[in-house]
Amino acid sequence: MTISVGPVSDSIAGWLVERGLPPEIAAVAAVLLVCAGPVLGIAFPIAGVAQYFERKIAAGMQRRKGPMVGATGVVRLVVDLAFFWMPRWKRAALVARIERAPVIGPILGKVRQLGLGSIAADGVKMFLKEDMSPAGADKLLFYGSTYLALLGAFLAFAVFPFSQWFHMGDTPVAALYLGAVTGLVAVSILKAGWSSNNKWSYFGGIRSVAMIVSYETPITLCIAAIVMWSGTMSLQGIIAAQYHAGWFSFLGWNLFQSPLMVLLAGVYYVAALAECNRAPFDLAEGESELVGGFHTEYSGLRWGLFFIAEYTDMILVGGLFATLFLGGYQSPIGEQWIVSLPPLGEALAHTAIIVVKFLLSIGVMMWIRWTLPRFRIDQVMGLAWTKLVPLALVGLFGLAVTQVMVASRSGMRTVEHGRYLSAPVVAMDLVSVAVSWVVLGGLVAVLVVLAKRHAKGRGMPEDVSKVLLGEEGA
Amino acid sequence: MNIERDGDFITLSMGPHHPATHGVLRLEVTTDGEVIAACKPDIGYLHRSIEKIGENLEWYQFVPYTDRVDYVCSMNSNHAWVCAVESLLASSDETRLQIPERAEYIRILFAELNRISSHMVGLGAMTMDLGAFTPFLHAVGQRELVNDIFEKTCGARLTYNYMCVGGVTSDLYPGAEQEVRSFLDGLEKAMREFNKLISTNNIFRNRLAGVAPVSAADAVSFGLVGPNLRGSGVDFDLRRDRPYGFYDRVKFEVPLGRRYAGEKGLLGDCYDRFVVRLLEVVESIKICRQILDQMPPSSGKEDDPVGGWCVAKAAQKALRKPPVGETYFRCENPRGETGYHLVSDGTKFPYRVRIRTGSFTALSIFEKLVPGLMIADLVAVIGSFDIVLPEVDR
Repeated sequence: MTISVGPVSDSIAGWLVERGLPPEIAAVAAVLLVCAGPVLGIAFPIAGVAQYFERKIAAGMQRRKGPMVGATGVVRLVVDLAFFWMPRWKRAALVARIERAPVIGPILGKVRQLGLGSIAADGVKMFLKEDMSPAGADKLLFYGSTYLALLGAFLAFAVFPFSQWFHMGDTPVAALYLGAVTGLVAVSILKAGWSSNNKWSYFGGIRSVAMIVSYETPITLCIAAIVMWSGTMSLQGIIAAQYHAGWFSFLGWNLFQSPLMVLLAGVYYVAALAECNRAPFDLAEGESELVGGFHTEYSGLRWGLFFIAEYTDMILVGGLFATLFLGGYQSPIGEQWIVSLPPLGEALAHTAIIVVKFLLSIGVMMWIRWTLPRFRIDQVMGLAWTKLVPLALVGLFGLAVTQVMVASRSGMRTVEHGRYLSAPVVAMDLVSVAVSWVVLGGLVAVLVVLAKRHAKGRGMPEDVSKVLLGEEGA
Repeated sequence: MNIERDGDFITLSMGPHHPATHGVLRLEVTTDGEVIAACKPDIGYLHRSIEKIGENLEWYQFVPYTDRVDYVCSMNSNHAWVCAVESLLASSDETRLQIPERAEYIRILFAELNRISSHMVGLGAMTMDLGAFTPFLHAVGQRELVNDIFEKTCGARLTYNYMCVGGVTSDLYPGAEQEVRSFLDGLEKAMREFNKLISTNNIFRNRLAGVAPVSAADAVSFGLVGPNLRGSGVDFDLRRDRPYGFYDRVKFEVPLGRRYAGEKGLLGDCYDRFVVRLLEVVESIKICRQILDQMPPSSGKEDDPVGGWCVAKAAQKALRKPPVGETYFRCENPRGETGYHLVSDGTKFPYRVRIRTGSFTALSIFEKLVPGLMIADLVAVIGSFDIVLPEVDR
């Protein structure tokens, strides 16, 4: 029996067999290669880049000049590394001499490293730190939970499509599989908190599990709505259902199909933020409350693994958001020409597009993180069960009703039932379109009113809010 | 895992090294899950016996130690000490000092500037405790500007040692008035930004609304002072009710807590204390502007009664033989009333120095206030009382 996770691994296996490898070994090697490919080739570099951008974005928002300037010259870096045994002043003199050299000086002197070295420096630092475990810790769980965190984050990439054929495997139950493997993060955090023999870690673990389990509910409801809408659980199928020929291919994206999709997208994004423990839901780390939360006792590379798992989770969440609502790897304009490219060109173009979508999503997460304060645990639970779950249910049932009512509309992805094609049904169709846009308008109006109230400082005496926010702000 | 079990409770030792305790405070917290059943502050990790040191130093030598009583508002601590010593000297006609008018103005100008910077740290640290890091840096950015002005004047950024008995150690540098004015203009804009960013943020407000309300009666009986007292609606401000310096020559309002969080809030909750501090910064800006308008120009002569800045010789002479007696002088500092009780036996060393500080009494109400709150709320409560630990331990 041969192992296969899709055409890519098959073709690599075939290539290896042609080179004389036994077919079983070739198949396993191909699967391993294909699995490691996206994680090592895309997720890891993006995690590094994301961490770099997090520093820059945070510094920009906080008006800290240091990370924004990144002004150490490359010349100085190279000289410092190459002549590390020299006294400092000698190195400085050498740098000055190079920068004053007639032709190369002005060019080399302008090259700045922009803080890129910090990505490498962080990795090296984490490798060099001592790997400690606290006295009284449950060693097996303490060490094991770091790998479990990574496993949960990476397994999800097994079904994630980067392009039409660049994916490790697309099972017909991919959506269900994702729900299962993303839950592993909760287990790993619980184990990390429990095994650390530290009360702060313990609190972090308990908080995180309570939160992740609660937020899985709205996420699953959102995914269920999309699965129902697309009629398939396969991620490739969900993306294919959003294909729209012509220039404006974004018109086919789920987000623009119904106002209820906008609602579901909002619910999904908020819940997904909580799922990957990002601010304002970072109660599990809760730096100012729980010291470091579940990873208080972890040091060096083990802490780094949690960090990588968090960033990989963020990428995954961004990718899933794109897959479910924003057409996955599809381009917003002119998708039909990209589809007709030769396979390699198509894969490259689509991967580039999905990476841009990852980065946009991560950017929004960072924007939120560096703006908002943290919730309290009861408020977090309240948000999940009293706001997000009902909203997701409204979205789910609303979409179901829309799907039945608008069965006849062209361009809508739906189950086709010929018998609905009658005059009353068409009338109902028009009514439902009108209703759905009224709902969208209503949503926008509610958001505007909320934003205005928010700006006014709701409930605050008028004179005080004038003093605090200024005349024009009130 | 070894969790100490005492019934169904966990005992948490919060501090002395904890990100939210603003120094080396240790709170022994007994929790039932996330809910706190009991909280006992444990202090003394920063005790430096400053009061005893005061008995072994000459009167004027103690000023740098007052910097360390509360390093977030050293100017105000300086001010309280020199005012206390001057009030002791004023009890006898021979030693009474005639402080130059300009020196008095500089003192309250700097006291107000330091109140601004201290409140910015307090407000910013509170937002950081609640998980918002960006507003903290914006607030501390304003403090840096105040520190720039102080550094140019006296050479230090944290422990100023600027005021002395008889005036201030040096005149303002040229162009200081203009610089303070432009700082105040920038601060007004920055405060509005800060308020839009965090103070009126719904998550932030819901975290603070209705948390740990202190009734007016409790506030008085536990000896809360300053913004913590006024947050509970008690209308008392030493600057207005017992004016010292030239506070009677400036006009300002005393902001009081009045359920700023709307219907979710309670009188004297964490949000009230937060907003009272915000409004005090606004009032301090007003005071600074009035002082700059009224301040006489420098005459260039040190002991000029109007435009001078220090009567050093007279002060030295008086401090060699101060009158026998005792005095208690209190100043309105950012963390509330700071009082110096001095006992003099007529020698150049004080017989006794006693310091009364706001943070110490604020900490005493924790045992009553905190049970029933959550761990995350405790962090907000510590922030809202704006506790600075060296002031507690001295």
